[in-house]
Amino acid sequence: MLSFEPTEEQRLMRDSVGDFARATLGAHAREHEAMRGVPDAVRRAAFELGLGTMDLPEDAGGQGLGLVTTVLLEEELGRADAAAAFALAGPGAFGTAVAELARPLERAALLAPFASAEAGHARFGAVGWSELRPNAERAGMSTVAVRDGAGYRLSGHKAFVHNAGLAERVLVVAQVEPERGWDGLGAFVVPTDAPGVTIGARHATVGLDCAWFGELGLDAVSVPAAARLEPEGSFTAALVRFFAKRALVVAARAVGLAGRAYDMARSYCDERVAFGKPIGHFQAVAFELADRHMDVESARWLLWRAAWHWDGAQPERAALGASAAATAHALEVAMRTADACVGLHGGIGFVRDLLAEKLMRDAKQMALACPTALLCDQLAAAVEVGAPLDPAAVLPTPEAQAIFVC
Amino acid sequence: MIDFQLTDKQRQLKDALEGLGRHVVRPQSLAWDRDHTVSEAFLRQFMGMARAFAGEGSAERFLGTGEEPGAGHGADRGAPRGKPSQANRTAAVGAEALAWCDAALLLAMPGPGLGGPPVRSTGTPEQRQRFFGIFKDMSQELRWGAYGLTEPGAGSDVAAIRTTCVKDGDAWVLNGRKCYITNGARAAWTVIFATVDHRLGRAGHRAFVVEKGTPGFSVGKIEDKMGLRASETAELVLEDCRVPEANLLGGADAHASKEGFMTAMKTFDTTRPLVGAMACGIGRAAYEHARYFVRERYLLSRPIPRYAALAERLARVGRRLEAARALVHHAVYLADLEQQNAKEASMAKAYAGQAAVHACTEAIDLCGAHGTLAGSDQLLEKWFRDIKVFDIFEGTGNIQRVVIAKRIVSGLKAF
Repeated sequence: MLSFEPTEEQRLMRDSVGDFARATLGAHAREHEAMRGVPDAVRRAAFELGLGTMDLPEDAGGQGLGLVTTVLLEEELGRADAAAAFALAGPGAFGTAVAELARPLERAALLAPFASAEAGHARFGAVGWSELRPNAERAGMSTVAVRDGAGYRLSGHKAFVHNAGLAERVLVVAQVEPERGWDGLGAFVVPTDAPGVTIGARHATVGLDCAWFGELGLDAVSVPAAARLEPEGSFTAALVRFFAKRALVVAARAVGLAGRAYDMARSYCDERVAFGKPIGHFQAVAFELADRHMDVESARWLLWRAAWHWDGAQPERAALGASAAATAHALEVAMRTADACVGLHGGIGFVRDLLAEKLMRDAKQMALACPTALLCDQLAAAVEVGAPLDPAAVLPTPEAQAIFVC
Repeated sequence: MIDFQLTDKQRQLKDALEGLGRHVVRPQSLAWDRDHTVSEAFLRQFMGMARAFAGEGSAERFLGTGEEPGAGHGADRGAPRGKPSQANRTAAVGAEALAWCDAALLLAMPGPGLGGPPVRSTGTPEQRQRFFGIFKDMSQELRWGAYGLTEPGAGSDVAAIRTTCVKDGDAWVLNGRKCYITNGARAAWTVIFATVDHRLGRAGHRAFVVEKGTPGFSVGKIEDKMGLRASETAELVLEDCRVPEANLLGGADAHASKEGFMTAMKTFDTTRPLVGAMACGIGRAAYEHARYFVRERYLLSRPIPRYAALAERLARVGRRLEAARALVHHAVYLADLEQQNAKEASMAKAYAGQAAVHACTEAIDLCGAHGTLAGSDQLLEKWFRDIKVFDIFEGTGNIQRVVIAKRIVSGLKAF
């Protein structure tokens, strides 16, 4: 039955996370931006609220709240300060990747440390996926994993890695079978203190200043065979699921940011007087607000719909299509709305006294913090026309478009 | 609970209508389009089938074939408290499916049509019985109602209507012209909006049910349109037309204030999401046509470099339609809960109209020259012609934005 009403429990959770986010993240957004992270106490408070592990299955150490609840709560974080949401502790993309790629026993062991009462608030996950440039010789990753006795030896260079400098373990995707191109990938859990691992300098980025982005070098890093994660079904299919589900978390933050930008713009148009009346009383301005309102609302409903597909056990291809559509729409809506927010503010929108300019920078950064709208459209089209999900076309490979995996 | 699953009944309705559409309606669509009409025999047959599938209540609502409780707030009758009706949601599913078959057929269906909502919301019990009564038994003769608001000089600015009404004894005398009236020539009655004094603006408006055959009430031009050609669009002329006092909608009391104008507007809150749903139906038809074309031409034969670019455009069309449908479903969900939905209704209509125009124009691009060929199995060019008016009638996209803006900008009364 078509319904747009969260459950009572979801409303209560959304309210408490919203309160936390406004008071702890939103009120200190510029301080956190300046310190390029959030204080330990904030991470601890977020951890105690259960943020970070809510979408993971219970047998993987998560709370098993499901994606609908997750996107409801993530929207609240994004609305308060999307950048800070990327600086909180938790398994993040690592958790979703492990949940999709590992066998149940492995994933429980890999994710349990994130639930630790003592240290969980300071544990970060990372995924080493992107590379600086496409491989010129063959399809696939340039980072390779070569059989070495009982284990593997990894060599290569990963780029645009979220939390590279903070994580104790990184899930690295490397080429295992070079001749098989994008179907020859494997996933390995690599401790960042292993010999041969080097962490590059932290990147300065246009937005999401709180988030740690950087590179990861792998110089003949030895890992045991057990470090390789192999899902029960197709590895490629599991990768596609990982990217699609994780993208909904980023999309939820994008919808939150878009809602915030819309609210700021609307308030300003009520207050700012020009030519003798509030600027919202001019049609060109009011219509822009109306269009952005439609954007934000429709983005939220598409996001809920996509999350519902996963929670409601809809067919996988339908869930992938819905997720791709929701993500692409949310990322574009966030950018359009933040852009409009700066524009409607005029000169003051460009000045750092207000948050408008930060929203615009964060929106652009977020559009690259998961499979981009362009890539989502390729996935959605493949689902819709019934094409096989060719990893070269539907994954954010270095050949297609480089992204930060968050 | 957040849920996007259609009920079994809605799913069956959608499947049944689309099955009819595929095998019965679409093969005839182009002929109707050329003949400017749908045969009465077919309308009769189709009404029966749709009713059997949808159940009496919902079919009435999206077909507009009879008196049904009004949608949304202000409904004088609704489901018992505590158990919200599904009627508006089911109607949106039905309207989308039927427009997917042929939107002109939906508009040509017998019944009060757009004339229904004002009679339902403002008519006295006697008026409701009298004017809806004629639709109860259409076994001998099909009947239509119509809605006459627009004038040559008053489109979006409905407050500017110049058709006059002057009280004369126990009757009102109406003079003026109405245009773009759906089913206007065949209608047994038309709700005509007129003004006692145009300087009074909205407060001067009165709504009358003017019956076919009333002396001084005649049909002018039948429009030759770009699309929806099987749907009749007529001009109505009122020349010293004497309308009995009993046909003043709601009686004299209802027009003591701005009520007359509000009658005109109330109609739209209930119908806009359904017009949005219809737009989604046409847009989806075009989208599916293009999707099939891309699959056949660019995927199954052999990989063609153009595929990636086409895939992207196809996906953009698809997600914009999904976003439109979500806004439509949200608006009808609120209506079923009897919550205020004027803003959401306008958002659904504005977004869906544009998304569906975009879908139809893009679909032609994706199919290339093939997309412009007319044929009983190639209706894309027809959908392209049909869709544009969905961003125009029932309030243009810009007028929807005026409605939305008034509800989001503080203190905004008018521009």
